[in-house]
Amino acid sequence: MTDATLAAAPSAESLFRRNLRDFRRNRLAMASVAVILIFVLMAVAAPLIAPQDPNETDLFRRLQPPGWAEGGDWSFPLGCDALGRDILSRIIYGARISIFIGAAVIFLATGVGILAGLAAGYFRGWVDVVISRVVDILLGFPYLIFAIGLMAMMGPGLLNIVLALAYKEWVIPCRVVRGETLAVRELEYVEAARALGAGPRHIMWREILPNILSPVIVVSTIRMAHVIILEASLSFLGLGVQPPTASWGSMVSDGRAFILEAWWVSTFPGLAILLLVLAINVASQALRDAFDPRFSE
Amino acid sequence: MSLGKLLERIIQLIPVLLGVSLIVFVMMALTPGDPVQIMVGEQSITPEQEAELRRNLGLDRPMVERFFIFLANAVQFDFGNSFYHGRPVADVIAERLPATIELSLVALVVALATAIPLGVVAAIRKNSVLDRVATVGSLLGVSLPGFWFGILLIMLFAVHMQILPVSGRIGYDNEVATVTGFLLIDTLLAGDIGAFGDALRHLLLPAITLGLPMTAILMRVTRSSMLEVMRQDYVTFAEAKGLPRRRVLYRHALKNALIPTVSVAAIETGSLLGGNMIVETVFGWPGLGRLVVESIFLRNYPLIQAAVLLYAVTYVVLNFLADILYTVLNPRVKL
Amino acid sequence: MKALPRLLMATALAACPAVIPAAVGAADLVVGFTLDADTLDPANHRKRETETIIRNMYDGLLTRDPDMLVVPEIAESMTQVSATEYDFKIRSGIKFHDGSDLTAEDVKFTLDRVVMENGMGDGMTSPRQGLMGPVASVTVAAPDTVRITLKEPWPILPAMLPNQQIVSKAWVEKMGNEGVATAENGTGPFKLVEWRKGDAVIMERFDDYYGGATDIPPVGKACVDRVIFKIIPESASRVAALLAGEVHIINELPAFSIAQVEANEGTQVMTVNGTRSFFVAMNMEGELFDDLKVRQAAAMAIDKGLIIDKILAGNAAPIDGILSPDAFGASELPKVGFDPEKAKALLAEAGFPDGIDVTMDTEAAFKDTAEAIASMLTKAGIRTTVAVGEGAQLSDKWRTKGAPKTGDMYFTSWGNGSLDPFDIFTPTHRTNDRGNSAGYANPELDKILDAAAVEMDVEKRRGMYHDAEMMITADQPYIYLWVPQDIYGVSKKVTGWKPSADSRINLHDACLN
Repeated sequence: MTDATLAAAPSAESLFRRNLRDFRRNRLAMASVAVILIFVLMAVAAPLIAPQDPNETDLFRRLQPPGWAEGGDWSFPLGCDALGRDILSRIIYGARISIFIGAAVIFLATGVGILAGLAAGYFRGWVDVVISRVVDILLGFPYLIFAIGLMAMMGPGLLNIVLALAYKEWVIPCRVVRGETLAVRELEYVEAARALGAGPRHIMWREILPNILSPVIVVSTIRMAHVIILEASLSFLGLGVQPPTASWGSMVSDGRAFILEAWWVSTFPGLAILLLVLAINVASQALRDAFDPRFSE
Repeated sequence: MSLGKLLERIIQLIPVLLGVSLIVFVMMALTPGDPVQIMVGEQSITPEQEAELRRNLGLDRPMVERFFIFLANAVQFDFGNSFYHGRPVADVIAERLPATIELSLVALVVALATAIPLGVVAAIRKNSVLDRVATVGSLLGVSLPGFWFGILLIMLFAVHMQILPVSGRIGYDNEVATVTGFLLIDTLLAGDIGAFGDALRHLLLPAITLGLPMTAILMRVTRSSMLEVMRQDYVTFAEAKGLPRRRVLYRHALKNALIPTVSVAAIETGSLLGGNMIVETVFGWPGLGRLVVESIFLRNYPLIQAAVLLYAVTYVVLNFLADILYTVLNPRVKL
Repeated sequence: MKALPRLLMATALAACPAVIPAAVGAADLVVGFTLDADTLDPANHRKRETETIIRNMYDGLLTRDPDMLVVPEIAESMTQVSATEYDFKIRSGIKFHDGSDLTAEDVKFTLDRVVMENGMGDGMTSPRQGLMGPVASVTVAAPDTVRITLKEPWPILPAMLPNQQIVSKAWVEKMGNEGVATAENGTGPFKLVEWRKGDAVIMERFDDYYGGATDIPPVGKACVDRVIFKIIPESASRVAALLAGEVHIINELPAFSIAQVEANEGTQVMTVNGTRSFFVAMNMEGELFDDLKVRQAAAMAIDKGLIIDKILAGNAAPIDGILSPDAFGASELPKVGFDPEKAKALLAEAGFPDGIDVTMDTEAAFKDTAEAIASMLTKAGIRTTVAVGEGAQLSDKWRTKGAPKTGDMYFTSWGNGSLDPFDIFTPTHRTNDRGNSAGYANPELDKILDAAAVEMDVEKRRGMYHDAEMMITADQPYIYLWVPQDIYGVSKKVTGWKPSADSRINLHDACLN
């Protein structure tokens, strides 16, 4: 986005279109979006795509190598895990779990974080003090220990994992939003809106929020990677998703003991995490670059 | 930095510590699992023995009373005895703490030393091959699960190539007098260069594994803030005046570009302490992280409570340092 | 890592010499061990791993040889004077590591410290008190003889004494409980050099060692100069350390790593029969498993042989009762065959022609095996979902000592380190006892177990336990599965050592070539 484009003072609509076109021009970004869509499609169409039943065990296939290796079988293309289940099918079904956990935690956390951050940053005073103290207290707990404690309290289960991770996750977007709100609330257009008689809710939602969304989105997408890995760490400690459900994280964690003997059990789900997270990050970076004039390069 | 401000910060510490202690107590209270039963395991004890054990551990009193006893003792720095070690919790933690701190600090240094130059160069040569590789690399860094990456490093460097050790802090041949508990310092104090090298070799893989996500984040932050600074008016102005680009960049731009890097680093260091547990387990590092998680599973309440307090204090102190650093680097920002 | 780069790596291995020499001296025996000691005080812990480390530095009155036979160690001989009195003649010439002599007073002090209320002082009772059973008193009957008097007959006293190690009275009194926790002064073949907490326990040979148990040759001082227990909790890292030559012995070698350790030149696998029985508890208080037919159906649905073969690499002994084949009182029992069709038929007879739906609780460590079992049960009509829980929570839920419980099945285990039924049969099968997860209540069985606990005639006692096992195979409160072997990875440079069923890693006679 050049200065000339800005100086032309276009209407909001065509600015958006222009940004979108810039985004679309970025081939890497489009590739990433395609990858994300593929994963989502995979998750949705799992029963149709998966070559095998992801939960069917067969002890005779225990730790079978991938199709191209000696002892492998192409109907189990990526090999089998410790109980003889097909890894490819488990990865396909696992997309549902990992995407769900990542998205649910981030959406929940970002939603709560934005609300709290806006309130703290805009109203200041005792609202800010209380929220900031709570944030400090929660941040004072190392992430994993807090999650472990919560899981021990609530018991295992998909919903509990989401809650356990979101409980602390919200403070991060909250801090970002609070900081940005503090910076922005004194700016001219906010003053103008106030002068025009706009109420706090309008100001927060219509004036402040759209302008601080960019860093929030960036932070949130980085955190999504973190969340997926944190879920894997919970599995590492035995508190992850319940069998026979598998998330990619729990598959990596379960397979780590076999890394010497059967590297495929951990590696392929690990690659899946990598690809999806990479795609999300690249796409979000490109999105930010295309839409935020401050950071256009 | 006035004394008043300092006091204000210290006073702010108190509700945080209270809040953290309260949360731990409540969590332990609501978590099923009886510490006494866990301790006894499969052994047989009579009801009288069990009652006495409960009494000795202080578990025969109601939760609320235990909380206040804990607070009253904590202000005198008495955190009770560990259920399992028969020694004061403070001693047990103090023994394991230096290992964790040393690992975290080395990881931090590795992260900064890698991320800052990479980020700066990536920004200066934007869109070059180096830039793209660094960006992808940084994205990889936050996407790799630590325990997996750590084991891979061990397989490669310790088992296959046998040039680095598998686990531990230092070989047994090296006897080091404990002065600070930090092996890198203690070995130098003793003048034992061989031991110093050995300690360094043992630190390498765990520090890289621990510091990788942080390196990735810091690189991106450095790069993007460097880019922003480079676009600033004063940079263009200085270039227009004819100053050599390099001098402009390094003297003016870099200092300002590093501000967000430093503040993110300070805050992320807190998360290093948290992420320690996984790395400590994989590399057999005798630190605090592993101890705390084991204690949670054993319901070793006194140790958990003391450790969590310690983490909270550390976090607040780090935050404080971050703020001070921020002011030092950017005089326009007042505390 | 893909196959090709790994191949390249392996080829490069030959070309890549060890750039920096291993930091291990020529005569240092290193054990890659799972858990650090909690304390070095022999009286103040409950963990087997802690005991294993301590027992290289502290000797006991009695000990076991690698075949689990109880033999004298510090004691020269043991005489049973009456049903409740045992005399131990103490050897002369035994020195503590600080140079002082061991006397009968030290033995009395040690046992008093464990057995008495507040025996450790400061209001502390030893956590190992329960291991000493109904000991009434310990007296010095003669200058070189210690007499243990029991409140009631307890035939397993000799089996339990190897779990107590003798300390020096003067030293403990001087150091206090806290001092004893982190320092060491025993009579064992090695003495402590340094305890790097969480990292390693470094010991060196004690040259004035009295020689050790005469029934376990060779007698004399230890073979190696130093012994180091290096703590490596993560199993893949432990195996890596063995393969890299950094450690010489590792414990808890996972079954799936056996092939690799065997294939590696310079290392081998050693196994020993274990002492932990694995089983599935079925909640007999619930509506489903209070019917014998349903329980029998569940037992018949499981192909134990297949799981042992595939998941445990063949390293386990199947059981049909609760006792390990090596335990005292183990006998031939009727086998429960693998017959899923018959299982389905039994279910139908019990009123469940369409099968039943159940949940099986287990800890994360056994998730895989539990799932394999669950899938076998499901094929026989018992549709099972595995629920992974935390050890502490599951204990609370299942080991209720008589309080009502919920839940269907619980895949768990119970250890029997002494290999005496008293430690395992009673807790798991006696009504309302501490390990009775199934909620099994059989007054007839209770009577037999109580009587066998105090029966002094060995043959009669054996017969009683046989009857007891026949009773439980008929009632099938648990699905009795297997007793896994303890698997160790050992460097070929180690000689003179083999693993022990009680998990003791006795390095007195181990040599390094």
